[in-house]
Amino acid sequence: MSAADRARSAATGLDRSRVALYLVLLAMVAFYLAPLESGLMTAFKTPEGFRTTTPFALPPIGEFTVSAWGMAFERLSSGLLNSAMMAVPATVLSALFGSLAAYGLTNLSWRGQIGVLMLFVAGVFIPYQAVLVPLTQFWSFVDLGGRIPLAFVDEYQGLINLGITHVAYGIPICTVLFRSYYATIDEDMLEAARLDGASAATIYRRIVLPLSVPIFAVTLIYQFTQIWNDLLFAIVLVSDPSNQVVTVALNQLQGSFVQQFNLQMAGAFVAALPTLVVYVLFGEQFAKGVAGET
Amino acid sequence: MSHDSRSDDDDRLTRRHYVAGAGTLATVGIAGCSDSGGDGSDGSDGSDGSDGSDGSDGSDGSDGSDGSDGGDSASELEIIHWWTAGGEQDAYQALLDGFREEHPDVEITDNPAPGGAGSAIDTVVQNRVIDGNPPSTFQIWPGQALTPYTDEGLLEDIGDSVWDEEMRGAYLDGVIDLAQPAGDLVAVPINIHRLNNLFFNVSVLDDADVDATDIDDPQGLLGVLETLDAETDVTPLVHQTQSPWSSLQLWESIFIGQQGVDDYQTVIGGDVSSLEDEVRSALDLLASYLEYIPEDAGSISWDQGNDQLIEGNAAFLHQGDWAAGQYSSADGFEFGSDWDMVPFPGTTGVYQSVIDSFVFPTNNPSPEATEQFLNYAGSVDAQERFNPIKGSIPPRTDVPMDEFGDFLSRQFEDFQNSNTQPPAIAHGTAVAPAIQSALEETFANFNENRDVDAAYQGIVDAF
Amino acid sequence: MSSGIFAALIRDTGGSVRSDGPDVDSDAAGDEASDAEPRVRTDGGTVVDGAGERSGSADAEPSLRSRFRRSRFLESIPFWGPPGVLVLFFVYGAIGWNFVISLTGWEGLGSPDYSSLSTEMYTQLLADSSFHAAFQNTLVLLFAFTVLSLVVGLLLAILVDQKIRLENTFRTIYLLPMSLSFVVTAIFWSWMYNPSNGLINELLRAIGLDALTQAWLSDPQFKLAAIIFALMWQFSGYCMVVYLAGLRAIPESQYEAARIDGASTTRLYWRVIIPQLRASTMSAAVVLVVFALKAFDFLFVLFGVNPGQSADILSVMMYRVAFDRVQWAYGSAVAMVLFAMALGVIGPYLYLQYRRGEL
Repeated sequence: MSAADRARSAATGLDRSRVALYLVLLAMVAFYLAPLESGLMTAFKTPEGFRTTTPFALPPIGEFTVSAWGMAFERLSSGLLNSAMMAVPATVLSALFGSLAAYGLTNLSWRGQIGVLMLFVAGVFIPYQAVLVPLTQFWSFVDLGGRIPLAFVDEYQGLINLGITHVAYGIPICTVLFRSYYATIDEDMLEAARLDGASAATIYRRIVLPLSVPIFAVTLIYQFTQIWNDLLFAIVLVSDPSNQVVTVALNQLQGSFVQQFNLQMAGAFVAALPTLVVYVLFGEQFAKGVAGET
Repeated sequence: MSHDSRSDDDDRLTRRHYVAGAGTLATVGIAGCSDSGGDGSDGSDGSDGSDGSDGSDGSDGSDGSDGSDGGDSASELEIIHWWTAGGEQDAYQALLDGFREEHPDVEITDNPAPGGAGSAIDTVVQNRVIDGNPPSTFQIWPGQALTPYTDEGLLEDIGDSVWDEEMRGAYLDGVIDLAQPAGDLVAVPINIHRLNNLFFNVSVLDDADVDATDIDDPQGLLGVLETLDAETDVTPLVHQTQSPWSSLQLWESIFIGQQGVDDYQTVIGGDVSSLEDEVRSALDLLASYLEYIPEDAGSISWDQGNDQLIEGNAAFLHQGDWAAGQYSSADGFEFGSDWDMVPFPGTTGVYQSVIDSFVFPTNNPSPEATEQFLNYAGSVDAQERFNPIKGSIPPRTDVPMDEFGDFLSRQFEDFQNSNTQPPAIAHGTAVAPAIQSALEETFANFNENRDVDAAYQGIVDAF
Repeated sequence: MSSGIFAALIRDTGGSVRSDGPDVDSDAAGDEASDAEPRVRTDGGTVVDGAGERSGSADAEPSLRSRFRRSRFLESIPFWGPPGVLVLFFVYGAIGWNFVISLTGWEGLGSPDYSSLSTEMYTQLLADSSFHAAFQNTLVLLFAFTVLSLVVGLLLAILVDQKIRLENTFRTIYLLPMSLSFVVTAIFWSWMYNPSNGLINELLRAIGLDALTQAWLSDPQFKLAAIIFALMWQFSGYCMVVYLAGLRAIPESQYEAARIDGASTTRLYWRVIIPQLRASTMSAAVVLVVFALKAFDFLFVLFGVNPGQSADILSVMMYRVAFDRVQWAYGSAVAMVLFAMALGVIGPYLYLQYRRGEL
């Protein structure tokens, strides 16, 4: 029972303040949804429609069209595919690395680990700009496609570079998330396993990893959103247009058709769909995961 | 504890945990706290530990399985360009159609890199060229814009392979010079635009009783803009300030209109301070012009502004003659009766040139097809197809002008009668890209604050 | 009692530590910072400073424990080693490399020349008026955006904490914008701010405030404010979530005590509750600052590389200089300033966390 509720209960009967509360909350709902709602409406309008009607109004009869969606999807589909191909493995890898690092820095205690941990934690906050120039240099030196004679490495070189970069930059935040969770694992249990002669690897595989399912859910969701949404690394590190990710494609959609707001809005929704779906669908699971209720 | 039966409590816990979860992401800085107990450890003991790692392997593998179609056919021609709007796009398609007719075996990968006057294309192309993964060819302004590439030897000398005697004889000398900024011929110019145009909607001017040919100098244009603003409902001057290049090129035309081409050459040579008063005067006038542009100039593109002129809601447009491509694709908007153009006041006899060209990057993925394309781009057929739609005149002198329509034929005539064809700053031929970029920043600021002192200083610093 | 991670994370005092006795000093969480320092240095050698050991752990045999720890160290390397190498290389190595590049004069499409290094780029920066403007705007953005988001987030959290119906739904909606890419939100807001058809001006006109309509994203007076407002829209819901967790971690007894004292609701929050949300504020603020430093994507989508002096920020300037103007060294110098700013926020925060044993 919420404490504030208790505080308020003295004031029962003041229905008016209750109504006001909900009105404010609803106004805030309108505020947070207005850009999305007017975007959605605009995406279904013809150019004539969005020029002559209020953005949040429903498309007038005769000015309704789904053609913007078709076109947006067509222009973004290869970007969507590329983003998915890059973001999914990168997300999983960075989460896995984060889990391993957090285990090594939390459940296996040793002197000086706080220093190493500091480096991981500080890594969360590095502005990407601070590494952009060296990274472009680095990836043009490395030339994975030229070194690894595999067709897919050659074809998806930009995406692989981008994915590896995202993995490396995702490790700090993943480590922090896992660490905060692993710190709550009962030490006695791990100690008992150790006394039974289990190696660190065995303990990780048999005890820690199974316990990590909820935090994996949290980390994967968060990390997927981060990687999917990034623009900066993608424009700098991916120069081959066939490897273009969806955020870049979306940005170009608006670059080339400045006033085609219906197309831009449809495109924005198409590009945001995966993260929106993840957010709406897994929000609850996400909550349970963190709570350790799985 | 998590199986607490009281629904009220359960509900609250869930919510709190939800909040807690999202919050955890927030508090990334606070890691590894200790808590009093084994929450999280109970109840999930039974599951098998191998889940997580298996999952990651699986999805990793899926990455590879998609790379089936390698598609490295030698005759795949990848072209990066920024012709993505209206008439430009049509012109480019006409060029490709012509090329396909001659070389049906070459597969063309079309890579538009939009962003106004080529701002996004630079990064894309530069990165790829640096990475040793260039496209087959890309659109670029000749002249100074080529220098970052020629400085590092990133463009193939095509003086022998593409520029044969026939072609050299057909191009104008000044244009050939622009194609060899560092000595070697590295580019094939495909068109020449005029920058110093003042387009207008004929009926709008008639209604306001204004005669564009009567305007003698840039100051005179300001007077007309004032009149239009006072006496009509139309936007006197269509202009966009979302990107800085339109203001930059307008300033160039004002400067040439006020001071002439010799002073302009001095400025692009880098000697700005000896012409401080002249540079400032042009900035002052530009600031005055900007009083008469659309209210939404900061959120429109130039072609959107041009639509307003077509629709009769605006009077003038200063723009390169690519703008005319949009007029010809508009229904019932005819040259002479509906729209017309005069050289920007004070610049009659000047044909300030904006040129597009294609180049042959080193490490070329498709040397043969690239050469074929460049050869084609330099041909009469290509330039005859491309230029009428693009709204430009051909750099070759032997292209039949029959298809070019009245306007371009007149432009071509103007070109041949012009005294001088200075390069353009805003379109790369006049100054190196770093200088151009610094000037763009200066004019982006000027669009905001119209601060002549700051802009003058910015221009000085840019060189 | 299952308390969730967050509630534990933002506890105010560093009091609660792992309860198992002998292991209490197994990492710095249970130790004073001053104690952990020297032991880092002696790691790997014999423990000389036995006297420095805290009394709480004095009962264990030092030599055995040090052997034990050393083997733990070795044992742990395979776990944090590989990710550590990646981070060390891609993050810290790259920053170091970036610093070296900023000391060269590298520009153009060639390669850097590492043979002559100087601080010339930094001298240039100090004299560059666009750097001054970008620096100032970055500070304004950091400060205004952070404060605004915190205030809105706190108010929302207090409202949502009033035992409302459909709390889940409200919260999900408020938090929703955060899941969107800057590219997406920038596109939405460019439409919202559109002077002729955008929702903001349409609304102003609808309620008769035509005089207040503006060209929000092109008028230098409003540009930066418009950006800050849009960013606030995106991240205030997130602050709400952080504060909500903070509010729920406050024991009920405190509300009751205040109630018994006859404090008004406003006074209750102002005097009793809000002061206890310091930790929430701090953690939210740090994350907001990081987002603000990364706001590049948002501005880039709206304005390209030239937002104009009124809205230019360092992250955009860095991109413009390095990638548009190919003045790599100069861009790297701007990036170092940006990094220093991030460090200026994060460093003290981390230190504080460390001192409190909350790292």
